[in-house]
Amino acid sequence: MCARYDPAVPATDQPRPPEEWALLSYRLPREPSTPRITVWRKLKRLGVAQLGDGLVALPHDPRTGEQFDWLAEEIVEAGGTAIVWLARPALARAGVDLVELLAAERAAEYRGVVEQARRAADLDPNSRQAAVRRMRGELRRISRRTYFPLPERAAAHAAVTVLAGDDGGEYDEETMA
Amino acid sequence: MRWATRAGVHVDRAACAWLIRREVDPGAEFTFVADPADVPADATPFDMRGVELTHHRGDCTFETILRRYELTDPVLWRIAEIVHEADLDDERYDAPEALGLDVVLRGLSMISDDDQVLAIGGPIFDGLYEFFRREMHLGHEPA
Repeated sequence: MCARYDPAVPATDQPRPPEEWALLSYRLPREPSTPRITVWRKLKRLGVAQLGDGLVALPHDPRTGEQFDWLAEEIVEAGGTAIVWLARPALARAGVDLVELLAAERAAEYRGVVEQARRAADLDPNSRQAAVRRMRGELRRISRRTYFPLPERAAAHAAVTVLAGDDGGEYDEETMA
Repeated sequence: MRWATRAGVHVDRAACAWLIRREVDPGAEFTFVADPADVPADATPFDMRGVELTHHRGDCTFETILRRYELTDPVLWRIAEIVHEADLDDERYDAPEALGLDVVLRGLSMISDDDQVLAIGGPIFDGLYEFFRREMHLGHEPA
């Protein structure tokens, strides 16, 4: 099941392109490597779309714009260059494609959590609870970089909830599907 | 003294306003601007790009202010961890309170204007200060 934009489907069920994108164009010196790694990690955490080398994008809202502002500041302080842009693609279809790309990435992450929950069902209660805790943290992190509705999100939450409530009874194939 | 920051205050700006009033300028007056270019000439800006009192080297503005005014109170630095994680969410600190505080202040900012958010934020941060002051004094979580 992949996330493709379909005009016939209600908006709440699928990702839509934003009115505007926030873009961060940046360059960092190759050495030292620590600032590059720090920036890369932060961009991954934000769930950016990689448009090219040194060019990333996020659907624009006050929060994403601000996150790029601070990152730009950090890059400049590390001896690099960075500009934050607000942009619209010349072709609307490009925006749709980009959102679908992001949606597919986030959907894969949520499906990964469902898979983890499936495997954790066989663990003893203590290990299962520890797994629940870890997965909830992961769900929060994925959620913070998901800028649109996704059916996979609810499915992942449900899988972890089932695991949390499971007092050792039978693994329910249907709920976990 | 006058101070200026971006409109639509969330946790970092609300915390900074509280910190400024508490430690730097008890009579502080705050102005909120849509654009950094609109900062009044007599106001000290904070939490916007290109000014001294803002994010630097991965610190949020609250931490920058603590450093700039050499505030070493460990309770303020405990609060700084929460504000940092609420604002930047980069797992530099372990601050589980951050998510809750962030959501509370964002919700508040949706239904109140900036002056109200600051007015409500004041007692919230006063309470946080007292909580962590007691925790440090007792050596364990207070009742």
